[in-house]
Amino acid sequence: MSELSTIATIKCKQQVVRAVRFNVDGTYCLTCGADKKIKLWNPHRELLLKTYGGHANEVLDAAGSCDSSHIVSCSSDKSVILWDVTTGQPIRRYRGHASSVTCVKFNEESSLAVSGSVDNTVAFWDIVSRRQEPVQVLKDAKDTITSIQITDHEIMTCSVDCHVRLYDIRVGKMTSDYIGHIVTFGNFTHDGQCYVLSCNDGTVKLFDKDSGEMLNTFIGHECKDYMLENVVNETDSHIMSGSATGEVLVWDLISSKSTNKFVHTKNKPVISLSHHPTESYLLTACDDEIKLWGNKSAND
Amino acid sequence: MSNSDSDDENPILYGTPLDPIEEDEVPSKRKYQQPPDQYAVDNHGRRRFHGAFTGGFSAGYGNTVGTPEGWTPSTFKSSKSNKASISAQRPEDYMDEEDRGEFGIAPRHLQTRNDFTGQKRKHHRYHDGPIPGEPVLEQLLKTVHETAAVRMLRAMGWRPGQGTGERVTRDEKKKRKTQQRVYGCYMPPEMRQNDEIESDTNSSDSEFEYDTLFAPDDYEPYILQRKSDRFGLGYSGLSRHSVLGSLSGQYGEGASKSHLVMNDKGRKVSIRGQAFGVGAFEADDEDIYATEDMSHYDFAIGGAADKPKKPANKEKGANVLEGFAKASKPLPPVPSYPPPALPRDYRPVEAGTRRSRFEPSAAPQRDQGLGRHELTAEARGALLGEEPVPKLPEPPQIVQNVPEDPIAKITGRNVNFITTNDIKETKELDFIPLKCGNEIPKTFRPFMSVPDKQARYERYLNDKEAFLREQDGNMDAVREWERDRELVEFEQAAKLYKPLTGFMGDRFTHASEPDDGATNPLCAVAKSNNSYGLATPEQVEAARRGVYGVMTRKETPWRPESLVCKRFNIPDPNVRTETKSEEKPKVSYSIFSYMESSVHDKDSFAKEQQKFSGSKSLNLPKPTHNTLPQNKTSISDERSKVDNPTPSTSGDNTNFMKRMTVAELFMKESEKDLKSNENVNDTIEKFDKMDLYKAIFLSDSENEDEGTPTSTVNTNLKEPDDFIDKPKNLERNTSPPRGIFANIDFDELNSWRRNILTDKCEKDDSKKDSKSNKEVKDTEANVEADVYGPKIPENLQKRLEGESGQDGDFRPIFRRKSDIAKDVVEINTSSSDSWVDIKEVTAKKQKKKKKKHKSKHKKGKHKKKDK
Repeated sequence: MSELSTIATIKCKQQVVRAVRFNVDGTYCLTCGADKKIKLWNPHRELLLKTYGGHANEVLDAAGSCDSSHIVSCSSDKSVILWDVTTGQPIRRYRGHASSVTCVKFNEESSLAVSGSVDNTVAFWDIVSRRQEPVQVLKDAKDTITSIQITDHEIMTCSVDCHVRLYDIRVGKMTSDYIGHIVTFGNFTHDGQCYVLSCNDGTVKLFDKDSGEMLNTFIGHECKDYMLENVVNETDSHIMSGSATGEVLVWDLISSKSTNKFVHTKNKPVISLSHHPTESYLLTACDDEIKLWGNKSAND
Repeated sequence: MSNSDSDDENPILYGTPLDPIEEDEVPSKRKYQQPPDQYAVDNHGRRRFHGAFTGGFSAGYGNTVGTPEGWTPSTFKSSKSNKASISAQRPEDYMDEEDRGEFGIAPRHLQTRNDFTGQKRKHHRYHDGPIPGEPVLEQLLKTVHETAAVRMLRAMGWRPGQGTGERVTRDEKKKRKTQQRVYGCYMPPEMRQNDEIESDTNSSDSEFEYDTLFAPDDYEPYILQRKSDRFGLGYSGLSRHSVLGSLSGQYGEGASKSHLVMNDKGRKVSIRGQAFGVGAFEADDEDIYATEDMSHYDFAIGGAADKPKKPANKEKGANVLEGFAKASKPLPPVPSYPPPALPRDYRPVEAGTRRSRFEPSAAPQRDQGLGRHELTAEARGALLGEEPVPKLPEPPQIVQNVPEDPIAKITGRNVNFITTNDIKETKELDFIPLKCGNEIPKTFRPFMSVPDKQARYERYLNDKEAFLREQDGNMDAVREWERDRELVEFEQAAKLYKPLTGFMGDRFTHASEPDDGATNPLCAVAKSNNSYGLATPEQVEAARRGVYGVMTRKETPWRPESLVCKRFNIPDPNVRTETKSEEKPKVSYSIFSYMESSVHDKDSFAKEQQKFSGSKSLNLPKPTHNTLPQNKTSISDERSKVDNPTPSTSGDNTNFMKRMTVAELFMKESEKDLKSNENVNDTIEKFDKMDLYKAIFLSDSENEDEGTPTSTVNTNLKEPDDFIDKPKNLERNTSPPRGIFANIDFDELNSWRRNILTDKCEKDDSKKDSKSNKEVKDTEANVEADVYGPKIPENLQKRLEGESGQDGDFRPIFRRKSDIAKDVVEINTSSSDSWVDIKEVTAKKQKKKKKKHKSKHKKGKHKKKDK
């Protein structure tokens, strides 16, 4: 893997950036701020494109739709808001959750939004119709939902109750894996065969999706009760995770050796990361700042 | 404006008619305004404002220039030829006359010039020197500004600190001073005299300055006194003098301060200090209240009152700085308002600390209301002095005796409001006890009205097996079917009356760790990685060892909503596994779902009913009856015959559920013909015809759905022994009464009706044996289902039975409606039935069925009791 270096540093002026997310094609990114706003950027040109205000509390997560025409965001004001990208107006506001909503994702066609909350539920929101109630609510988890991932037919939820649950719509069954540690973030590899789970025992674990066996453990970073996220790079060759020490660690997926380490800001936790879907770009968020990392030579 | 409509002569219309007011419209109170009235126009009638909320100026060429060209730049003119006429252009040159008018943009009006106004207006002059903007020097140096009046005064010789006017001698100056002091009311004459005397003495000291002239004193501003009362400005109310006499001790001895003062002795008496003084343009009135009084007379020669005053003045001077005089009255103290008293339970909180409302308050909650709700009904009753209702024989767990408060006893009300005992009790019941299934029923007594049953129920709860064994031994005491029935009831009650444990218990778990967060929000939540209830110990162990896989994995069926599948573009897995989804019914938390699962479905009911019918062992000679067309061909009949020990009963039952075909009807008819010896009523024939008619015309649709109950009710109705063969209502709710009916014994309530009916039963049996009178039987059977009127007294009933045994013709009048009326009714109903659609028919029938069932049920019960 080639060396990543800082391409751009953007001061978001959002107090703290809770999450940074690339859009579907990696051209833009969204930052969710503690200032109750979402900002849409072009990180490559360091351009602020739009600010979306309407949440009543910190925005915890956001996702862009597949056609980049909508944004769905969730906040600790217990609501999920669907935004129109161009006008910046909230189209719909879903208030079904009983507590802070921690994570939100679109499905592949962006016809459904799936949100997980501190109230232990996962709710499906129909974007297409004007329905205000959730289409379905999953109440299997016994503690906060920390992250959600969606493939074309599966929904993976990670929870503080140390379980990862995979809901397979095709088969109509739910597979729950007991991990033994609080799962702060879960991710799929691009081939869809493995989970990459950030656990709060200071490890990132790689699990086989079908058998539920652990394949690898990645250590070296510091967790310190932060809800650290992880990413898999575009070729599934490396895994990256933030750290409480302000570093971003890169591991080789197969050998589980730490191949690289770059510092975002010393001693400030790097919690949220987002990887470009097709190219070698990485976005990291730390404090009030996001950084775009990339291959300098390729950029030049 | 407009004339009335009733005017027939040529109406003359002036002005524009208003819009007609709609009838249901509330007429607005605003004056009607036409659009043109709402435009502002200038003197020439042109519109003044254009666009931009009509506050803007003309767009394009409006009023200003009035030419299509609009503002054309002035062409260059050489000033060579007419230098004299060059003048600076001012904005006003480009304004219309209206603009400079009162309402224009640059109104011109009179105003004081800067010189004459007190404050100097800033006048911007822009210096076109090297430094742009306001001249720096002007900013630094400010000219002292004097108004014109000051300048005029100076010109008149005024100096600051001096008065104006001619110079005066010292004496005159002094005099003026004394005069100046007087304002408002005149000084009392005696004081003025004093002053004059004083000045006289002073003047003698300063003789040498006689020639010197002094400038008069400067104007002394009027010094306001602090206002200490709430009267109007300048008002001094009447003091507490008596109107005529003096107030003793108020102003020292000898101060005669009467309100009535004689200015000049004997001439005029004026009143001072009255509420409203004399007006500015009035002279003092002659005192109309003047009365001669001895107080107005001097009793000594000379001004005796003056003498003591002087030493007093001197005395004042001793304590007081020179130039100051001691105030005659001390200043009224400034009223100081004490800060509000703090509430007793107030605890000061440091500023800036925020307190969460979820934080538990250290202080106990204030009692809501009067603590009424803490009292039990008994306690309240005791307080109100009610006679306690004799209690049902019931264990004393619920009722707790309130210790009588002696004070409350005396006063007749609770003084403490909350007795300690009550508090204890509420605390005990405050939480949901988990895992104590046997204790709960003590608080719920579903069978309280029947103590025996309740006791049995409790025994059942304590040990189900033992109870069953015991019951088997007591076969005689409780009949078998009743016992079964009761068991079902107990089962339901056991489910129903432990809602908190049974339903909620499995949804909550005890906290594995003490929850400090409830009391202290700042306390960090302890991490608990492995003590999760939903992970089995094996899973925990496997995860700890890192052996993930089969051990840690758990698969459960999950049912995605169809809409979710649709949005994911995935075929719904539920459709394929339909049976599976039906296996797992949707979970509903209604308590009724628990009840219905046991007896409410038909199967369990039918089973129970069979037991019922088996146990009752009715000895009715039904099979011997002449007309039994019902038992003929139905498959269900066959089956039920096999099943049941009393085939006739069950056959009738099931027959009710099926539709009689045309063939059956014909067979029935033929059978009727065969039994021609029977005296068949006209009505019966009529009904048969109706049935036939109906069967022919309505059969197409009804025959198709086999087993649906149809209009055969009518045919059955007229059967003589119908009341015996009443089909059971399978839909009947046999669950124990719940809700407000929980403790009502319906059996008891219904028992009297049963008696009647069973009596009749027997009577009919006897009749059948004798086969004496068919007519009576028929009619009675028809009437049977609907008996109206009061209950027959038992002795009368018995007597009637005895009579009927001998005299078949006897018909109790109160028991039946008149035959004619009945016929008419029956015909009507059947004829109407024949043309209504199926739904209605079935509905009607169900009603009838219900009725019949009741009567049947009663009969059965009665039989058993007789034994």
